[in-house]
Amino acid sequence: MPNSVKPGSENGGKARPNKFMRLGQVLGWCSLAFMSGTTLLAFFGLLNFSGQGFDFGFLQDPYLWQIIEFTFIQAIFSAGLSLLFAWPVALALLHKRDSWHKRIFLSFCILCFVMPTLIVITGLVALLGHQGLVGRWMWEGWNLYGLTGILIAHVYLNFPFAVRCIYLQLQAIPASRWKLARQLKLSRWQRFRYLEWPSAQLVSWLATGFILVLCFNSFAVVLALGGGPQATTLEVAIYQALKYDFNIPEALILAWLQLILAGSLYLLVTTLGQLQWLGNLSQERKPLPSSGKFERLLYNLFYGIAWCVMVAPLIALLPKIFSQPLTENFWQAIVTPTMTSLVLAALATTIALGLAYLVLQPYRIARRLGTTTYIWIDGLASHALVIPAMVLSVGIFVFFIRKIDLDIYGMVFVCIINALVSVPFALSQLKGPLLNYDQSYRHLLSTLKLSRWQRFTVEWQFMKPAIRSATAFVAVLTLGDVAIYSIFGHQDFVTLPWLIYSYASTYRMTEAAMAAILLLIICSTVVAFLEYQRRPRSKKVC
Amino acid sequence: MLIVDQLIVRRDRLSFQYHQQIQEGEIVAIQGVSGIGKSTLLEAIAGFAQITSGDIRWLGKSFVDLIPEQRPVSMLFQDNNLFEHLSIKQNLRFIDTEVAWSEVEKHALTLGVGEQLTKQPNALSGGQRQRVALLRTLLRPEPLILLDEPFSELDPATRATAASWSRQMAQQRNKTLMAVTHHNEDVEQLADRVIRLE
Repeated sequence: MPNSVKPGSENGGKARPNKFMRLGQVLGWCSLAFMSGTTLLAFFGLLNFSGQGFDFGFLQDPYLWQIIEFTFIQAIFSAGLSLLFAWPVALALLHKRDSWHKRIFLSFCILCFVMPTLIVITGLVALLGHQGLVGRWMWEGWNLYGLTGILIAHVYLNFPFAVRCIYLQLQAIPASRWKLARQLKLSRWQRFRYLEWPSAQLVSWLATGFILVLCFNSFAVVLALGGGPQATTLEVAIYQALKYDFNIPEALILAWLQLILAGSLYLLVTTLGQLQWLGNLSQERKPLPSSGKFERLLYNLFYGIAWCVMVAPLIALLPKIFSQPLTENFWQAIVTPTMTSLVLAALATTIALGLAYLVLQPYRIARRLGTTTYIWIDGLASHALVIPAMVLSVGIFVFFIRKIDLDIYGMVFVCIINALVSVPFALSQLKGPLLNYDQSYRHLLSTLKLSRWQRFTVEWQFMKPAIRSATAFVAVLTLGDVAIYSIFGHQDFVTLPWLIYSYASTYRMTEAAMAAILLLIICSTVVAFLEYQRRPRSKKVC
Repeated sequence: MLIVDQLIVRRDRLSFQYHQQIQEGEIVAIQGVSGIGKSTLLEAIAGFAQITSGDIRWLGKSFVDLIPEQRPVSMLFQDNNLFEHLSIKQNLRFIDTEVAWSEVEKHALTLGVGEQLTKQPNALSGGQRQRVALLRTLLRPEPLILLDEPFSELDPATRATAASWSRQMAQQRNKTLMAVTHHNEDVEQLADRVIRLE
């Protein structure tokens, strides 16, 4: 029997891309080249600045080691505490019936995780600061600023993420296992030991690792609530070296350290597996064992506390805005930053989605042809996840500082870098649906012999919910950016998060609270839209 | 005439060999035990299987080297025949611009899916979806029609209606039709001849 495959056969030719697909493929490779090229420029910037080179003597500085130590400590504690608080809440959610408040709670978890950090920071200051709603009743010596405040903010921002990750795994335990557990009359501890923990064990470690990476890269929280050698992370130190001291060699050393440490941590975490936290929530009622009175009380307690913790900093903003009247100047001052943030988010989101969709063209062709090229494409397209936004920004800043007037073009870089760091998030939203589309309809599309326009419209209609969902996700991430703006931003184009930071750092809490509420409303609207797009569609009747 | 000439098709480490001739306008049923390669034959003709050697000719012209989009074939798959995100009407719009919509509606009524046109596919039963897909496959302009278990989700009465409608359409529109089926009733109602794969 001949071994060769006919040129027109499935692997030999029929799956060959047509002209339209080839154009997409070329544009996809161009997008990848643009993304990788920008990163290479950043590395070039990080390697050298006008021949000044590195200040390796700085590596001996105890201040540097203190910063590294603090960066690790705050990240480890933040991740550990987030996981510790998340488990009881996830268990409580599992044993609670489906209800409107439970659904809102789970959506609220998404909001908390993607919410611009400066809203949380302003809320926490309004709640736990010296003059805060609760802070004024705290013990003598209580201080929100420093490690305490950083941990509180990090746990607030990240434990809802861990709750969702764990809950998604717990609700995926098959009904048959619960039936078996009931039939075997397993105790509460045995159920946890043999059912709940094994099903969510891996995701717990993954979520902890992921939170650790996020907190390692935390910028706005540490900038606002930390400071000084006692409470500074590498990211904040980079910013201070670059913008306050203008000590570029020191900033470069710090940026390389941040890249090596954060990148290694991220790679370590991702080798363990991938996290599902935005997946659809099942409304199927599982035959869970009935809980005793005490157990139910505990679940209600954990659930109630979680609600209070998540709502409190946002509620605390309200009295602040009524504490003194806002001047007309404030309203005038807030319009431009709001518009700047919205325009910036819109542009960066459009670029990020465009790049992601183009990158997916060679990716899907590689998957279709069964070659391993898709692994490389995926790696290249997602490389921004390994490189902290601050490091990328510093590299590009240093590369262009002598070549371009960054006071004029700084905002262009804010937009492009925000888009580049968002591409992996856009990809995560688009990749699955697009592959699903190809898998389901590849043969049908061929046999129907659709025109390019028809193919485009059919695919567009299929992908619309995923594109909208990705748009909302990327927009809300971009709206909250502080790190990239802190490097390239300009006083003529202040963004809303930076305005909040400016107000909060000068103790103008009324203005900060009002601006934070405005940003919260914008982000909540976007998240509500995201949740609307992800809601399960009507079920098949037969 | 459709000639499948010493065709060797590879699928999941298995090789299937085919050699068949089908007259233009003929309706044939393909039968054989499970795993014998009935669907693989249809997929090879449509361009979705890995061909190792041999040829497929339609009216004297080989199309084995053509991509599926260029083959004179309209195929009904076992599943994934409808775009789930488009309405039934939108799915049926992919028939052909030369077929008047009123004609499509008339045939939809004959097949008992006339009331379903404004619905989404996920609101239809398996049998209704199958009839919608059958309607589109047979009204398309390609001269070669391949049906892979086209009536598998239909009850006996609807099955008879769909089979006789398919035969009538194929004859009216001068189609050459190949249908994979396990049911002898389908063979009686639909086919001129049976090809048994062994």
